Amino acid sequence: MKTKYNFLVVVTLLALIVSACGTAGPTTPVVLRVGWGGSPDTLNPGTGVLTEAYTIFALVYDTLYEFQLDGTYKLDVADSVNVADDGLTYTFKIHDGIKFHDGQPMTAKDVAFSLNLYKNNTDFIYLNAYTANFDTIEAPDDSTVVIKMLNAVPNIDYLLSYLYIVPEHIWKDYAEAPASTEFENLQTIGTGPFKMLEYSPNEFVRLGANKDHFANPPKIDEAIFQTFESDDVLVQSLKSGAVDMITEMPATAVESLKGDKTISVVTGAPFAPAVSDVIFNQIDPENCPTDVGGVCTGHPALRDRNVRLALSQATDKQKLIDIVLLGFGAPGLTLIPDGLGKWYNNSLQDYKYDAAEANRILDDAGYLDTNSDGVREIPDGSRPLTFRMHWPSDSIDGPRMAELLSEMWGEVGVTLELQAIDPDALTAECCPAFDYDIILWGWGSDPDPNLLLSVYATSEIPNGYNETGYSNPAYDELYLQQGVELDPEKRKDLVWQMQEIVFNDVVYVIPYYEETIQAYRTDRFTGWITDTPKVELSDVSSLIVVEPVK
Amino acid sequence: MNRYQFLWKKIAWALFTILFVVVLNFFLFRILPGDPVRSGTRDPRLKKDAQEALRIRFGLDKPVIPCFETLNPIKPGDCAVNPFETQFFLYLRNLTQGELGYSFHTNRPVADVLGERLWNTILLIGAGQLLSIVIGVLFGMFAAWKARTSIDYGALITGLVAWSLPTFWLGIILLFWGSNNGFPIGGKATPGISSFPFLYQAGDVFKHMILPTITYTIVYMGEYLLVMRSSLLDVLAEDYILTAKAKGLTTFQILKDHALKNAMLPIVTIIAINLGFTVAGAIQIESVYSWPGLGGAVYEALERRDYPVLQGVFLLIAVSVVLANLIADLTYSFLDPRVQAD
Repeated sequence: MKTKYNFLVVVTLLALIVSACGTAGPTTPVVLRVGWGGSPDTLNPGTGVLTEAYTIFALVYDTLYEFQLDGTYKLDVADSVNVADDGLTYTFKIHDGIKFHDGQPMTAKDVAFSLNLYKNNTDFIYLNAYTANFDTIEAPDDSTVVIKMLNAVPNIDYLLSYLYIVPEHIWKDYAEAPASTEFENLQTIGTGPFKMLEYSPNEFVRLGANKDHFANPPKIDEAIFQTFESDDVLVQSLKSGAVDMITEMPATAVESLKGDKTISVVTGAPFAPAVSDVIFNQIDPENCPTDVGGVCTGHPALRDRNVRLALSQATDKQKLIDIVLLGFGAPGLTLIPDGLGKWYNNSLQDYKYDAAEANRILDDAGYLDTNSDGVREIPDGSRPLTFRMHWPSDSIDGPRMAELLSEMWGEVGVTLELQAIDPDALTAECCPAFDYDIILWGWGSDPDPNLLLSVYATSEIPNGYNETGYSNPAYDELYLQQGVELDPEKRKDLVWQMQEIVFNDVVYVIPYYEETIQAYRTDRFTGWITDTPKVELSDVSSLIVVEPVK
Repeated sequence: MNRYQFLWKKIAWALFTILFVVVLNFFLFRILPGDPVRSGTRDPRLKKDAQEALRIRFGLDKPVIPCFETLNPIKPGDCAVNPFETQFFLYLRNLTQGELGYSFHTNRPVADVLGERLWNTILLIGAGQLLSIVIGVLFGMFAAWKARTSIDYGALITGLVAWSLPTFWLGIILLFWGSNNGFPIGGKATPGISSFPFLYQAGDVFKHMILPTITYTIVYMGEYLLVMRSSLLDVLAEDYILTAKAKGLTTFQILKDHALKNAMLPIVTIIAINLGFTVAGAIQIESVYSWPGLGGAVYEALERRDYPVLQGVFLLIAVSVVLANLIADLTYSFLDPRVQAD
């Protein structure tokens, strides 16, 4: 043991010598250090998939509309917008004097070019989808952008809030596939409050302040996002002061940080909604999408609302939240989470946790334990209520949730065969194959409810996004209506009605809406925005106002 | 068999093995369940035509081999298709041109992705290997020399404990200790120092290497120590060592001239195998210390069904393991001429 100790001492000494030699570096600017668990997969907005990429895009680029943490949108590079009466033409007046990070002026031509770029590249993974309703985008002069729509839509602000404005003088050589997707865009020239200084994949992204930004010049000089591959190390880095803020942390670490006066933990609804769901395979054999590989082997009992209702009433959501999330979540109702603000139907009263009531429902519906083995059978006695329950093997919460559900549902005479499955294999068996009984999974999504609402739509069954196989013509009708309803209040009513329908049909059991947990050091920077309905410390709103503690 | 025949035979086998891996690599990933287009983007925004466009971009629209569109699920296809329009032959053709393709996930050339990571891994694992070999072998020799003394038992216990420590656990423990003592605990270097003098940067990387290297060294040192000790003990029990002692040689002379060369044989094997796997990185150490090495690249690529990266990494590992083994074989024949005669 002594030899090991000596070895450590030698190495430590060496380290001290090196660090002593190195302290004479140049004076550094005001640098905010952010620790996070990922790294952008690319700097090309067309091909980005990971959240980290979009966090960086939001800081480096401007857009026509900006989404704010209070759930509303505001005009960004545009000073005004004029909407034609038929809702089919939008005319934006672009703010004068905006410059790209390389000094070139940004004009309406760049805006139109960017939107056309996203529209024309069908293999741009996400951003292309936002342009589906755009007919033409033109810039008649340097300060005017005219968007003509195919159909009037209620959410142009949402659609435009992800369409980043890129410089035509750089991207014109990469406007078409395959150049548009192969372009690495390492300089990431935009007009946003921050500019790209350095990007080292899987290590860090270093951004410098764009002090000449027309609206939001940051107070700090640099923001560095450093990748840490483990949550515990993130927390430790914050404690040791290696970083000033972390964008994610495990719930288990919150308690250990409570006593630390220099660290403040913030929790709340995440920027992108996080919904966990218990998926019941309830596809009607008539709707089975056999032409795209549908086999539809689900347990027939799950097609019965009574069974799903009973399972819902047999689920103690608070217990799940307390044990799986250590309390950092809220009980869920439908796929539309409370984090979506006004779109969330808060008038719905959740089914009460009541195992006796659940037992009664099953008894009344004819699901009795005819052979007295402790497990109920379907009414004709041919099959027990034994369900396969699968979850993605990379899920941390999956095993705990499955065990707890197995326990709770065991109280009402239902048994589960638990199994973790490779996420890809799970996608393959899930949908549109419908080769499962119950899956524990979840969604992350956009601020607009349209995306999550589409998951219930019959039209999404063959595409594999309707994961339950649920099909209700009344719902489908409302889904189409909300997609074209221009009056926000009326659209809200439709969206609320839709939630009521799927809630009454017990399409899912939604155990909870998970909260995001972030933390920052109080002795380094001040001014973090933490009182908004959504919490995101790495959002541009915080990063432009934080300043060093005096 | 003369020396050249032996050499050619070994090289031919090595080439054959690599070729086998090249073919296996391709099919291994195609029989895994999962669709690279949908994995990682299970999202309604990815519409049908966008999926189709991605498939074309990745070349996944072409049949895997003649007669088979896909292998999982097995979907029979046209047998009369031009073989050079199938994924397998395109893969072979690209490979012969040194083209590893583009990562599905980052759209960057695989060679670039692996290149960056390879150097990071070689830096870290190389340093760890070197240290653990030197320390392990020296202590192993010393322990065998002082057999059945407290030094020997001490070394033996240290070796056993070190070798059986779970790597990630030791890593985490050292990480917390280091973090409280001012050591950097994540990444290869402090971000944002690229404009600083080279020496400052080198010193910074050195500081970042300390904890992961110690972790690696402790774990692997145990292996070398134990093998070296027992191998040397075996040799020291041989009759010719007794003869050497009887001739009046000093212990040092016995060790140097008579025992070490024979005792090195098993160590050479282990070193060769471990060095071969060096490029595979050490997933656990890399992930504990967020070291951007190849181990992490394998993990991420697997998660996202990034076939081109996986193929590239596996090929790299196979080549280096085969090469290391070839070198071991040749060293063996040099250390122990009997090997050739077999």
